[in-house]
Amino acid sequence: MSTDGAAPVAPTQPGEPTADAGPPPPPIPAHVEPPRRRWGELVLAVATTALGAYVLLAAGSITVPGSTNTLGPRAFPYLVGGMLVAAGVALVVLVLSGRAGEEEGGEDVDPTVRTDWRTVALLAGTLVVHVFTINVIGWPFAAAILFAGAAVVLGARPWWRAALVGLALGLTIQVIFGGLLKLSLPPGPLLEGVPFLHG
Amino acid sequence: MDNFSALLEGFATVLHPMYLLYALFGVFIGTAVGVLPGIGPAMTIALLLPLTYTLEPTAAIIVFAGIYYGGMYGGSTTSILLNTPGESASIVTALEGNRMARAGRGAAALATAAIGSFVAGSIATVALTFVAPVVARWAVQLGEPDYFALMVVAFITVGALLGSSVPRGLASLSLGLFLGLVGTDTLTGQQRFTFGVPNLADGIDVVVVAVGLFAVGEALYVGSRMRHGPIEVIPVEKGWRSWMKRDDWRRSWKPWLRGTAIGFPVGTIPAGGADVATFLSYAAERRLSGSRRKEFGKGAIEGVAGPEAANNAAAAGVLVPLLTLGLPTTATAAIMVVAFQSYGIQPGPMLLRNESALVWALVASLYIGNLMLLVLNLPLVGMWVRVLSIPRHYLYAGILMFGALGSYALNFSPVDVLLLLVVGLIGFFMRRYGYPVAPMVIGMILGPMAEDRLRRSLAISQGDLTYLVTSPFAATAYAAIVVLVVAGIWLRRREQATGVTATATASVGDDR
Repeated sequence: MSTDGAAPVAPTQPGEPTADAGPPPPPIPAHVEPPRRRWGELVLAVATTALGAYVLLAAGSITVPGSTNTLGPRAFPYLVGGMLVAAGVALVVLVLSGRAGEEEGGEDVDPTVRTDWRTVALLAGTLVVHVFTINVIGWPFAAAILFAGAAVVLGARPWWRAALVGLALGLTIQVIFGGLLKLSLPPGPLLEGVPFLHG
Repeated sequence: MDNFSALLEGFATVLHPMYLLYALFGVFIGTAVGVLPGIGPAMTIALLLPLTYTLEPTAAIIVFAGIYYGGMYGGSTTSILLNTPGESASIVTALEGNRMARAGRGAAALATAAIGSFVAGSIATVALTFVAPVVARWAVQLGEPDYFALMVVAFITVGALLGSSVPRGLASLSLGLFLGLVGTDTLTGQQRFTFGVPNLADGIDVVVVAVGLFAVGEALYVGSRMRHGPIEVIPVEKGWRSWMKRDDWRRSWKPWLRGTAIGFPVGTIPAGGADVATFLSYAAERRLSGSRRKEFGKGAIEGVAGPEAANNAAAAGVLVPLLTLGLPTTATAAIMVVAFQSYGIQPGPMLLRNESALVWALVASLYIGNLMLLVLNLPLVGMWVRVLSIPRHYLYAGILMFGALGSYALNFSPVDVLLLLVVGLIGFFMRRYGYPVAPMVIGMILGPMAEDRLRRSLAISQGDLTYLVTSPFAATAYAAIVVLVVAGIWLRRREQATGVTATATASVGDDR
């Protein structure tokens, strides 16, 4: 079920199956893809091919100990590399011939809006900040930063409410997981002396 | 009868008040998280893994059984009550159930889904009780090439065949296989694709990949094109009386049983799990509906009752290959394998012999969890509705936070969280360009097992490749693959020719 076959009458569409003798196409609105979108997809397909090529090359340098009989540690990597290249090449061809993938739907996904790259970058950035703050200020506070940051990026207003919710959640999880379930989450220098927060 | 006494012992374990509490906790949290939109059963289990890190195995397995069934229940509530236009028709229940709710019959839809799930879950659990020991006894006789053949079947059906695009499924599967290669080769002790990084010598943790793909990838993807504005939950009428009228019962009970009969067998074979079962059941109900056929697409109760029952029966069916062969046939089952492995329990033919008490405790907790779900679900609808309308910015922020917690708590190393982000970004791009993520998780988990089996087979045969196909079982399995592939191509052709679109083909979502 790819997006092709939606407009077999349009002769301008490259790669459209020409011998389409079936009944008229379903009356769903064809996804009019802005040409920019295809670049990203092409990059992904090429990256898959490149990874496959790398796997094929690197598999050759895996040390094979003398004791191996028949199938050594290289065989499966060769197979996987081959599959990656095959899938990647097929996808490059698909994308170039105009058959783009169908992006996933979802309850909270608005199919009519364009991808907001800024949100994606900010969310990723928030996670990075979280990673580097865990060991410095402790898990509950790093988690609060992650929660509040992500919520504000996604549209929570006012920001201080998100921050309060995040802090409450972080501390609650610290008490439940660190204190009760004995998971050794670092409480951080500020709460070092509080006994029920420790794993 | 010795299975029966083993099952009774399982009940004796589970009926211990502490374990009952764990079971209740599991079904409750499983439903609550499953109700949240955008969270399928696979993601529910991946996100809730850290909850059980510190529990002892029996308790953890009981909690998981609850989460597993609870997540399935929760999902239907979401699709029935959430008023999102259009495309979430990946689950067929959404179609009829949502229409029923809009027509003011939401309570009946919820009730037939819940009771149907209970009926199907109970029957299917009984079937599991009887089928699993038989399969396990038979599985002991399987040789290495037979297992390899089974895994090839799983790769093909879960990976490539059933998605909407074969090359994308293959790419996703191969990516997973590659991730499975990273680390130390089990048979020779050689490092592969570790880039000299000591952290990678033990391999990439499957939990990080599963949580990254399902939770972080989903959060980033939804974030990139979030539906703003108020959340519309379809109101449900209150009171016992409106749940199921006499006519609803009359129209529901046959679809429940048919759904169960379709769902359980489909779940037990590696053919794509619950999605396929629900679709088949929906098609069957529509065909058998006779004069009511025109109601389908406008809110036919049979279209909720059948698929919902099939869904839950398949969920129990999936446990048969999982427990007896160690073969996960859905992404959800794959994550269950990870959960088992983190306790040093390897699902497979020996499990029923070596860990018999644990397995029967699991089965017993499925019976009990199912009952709890029925009691919990219908009266608490009001609460689930409130869960449904949780502000989306908090929901996805919370998903990110729990995902980060889960991967951090694996080794208490922030590096894992960074890896989580990388996998999450991969998951984002895969969703964005229509690559299914489930095959990647399956490939990563099954890949190393398949390699192991393949190399052992060839070590036994001293390199003779025909050994792989000469056993009757393996030969049958490969023949089945050919049949499945041909049937798949034929179905797709037919589908394109008749112009059946998004509604019926059930573009396979992340909840496999």
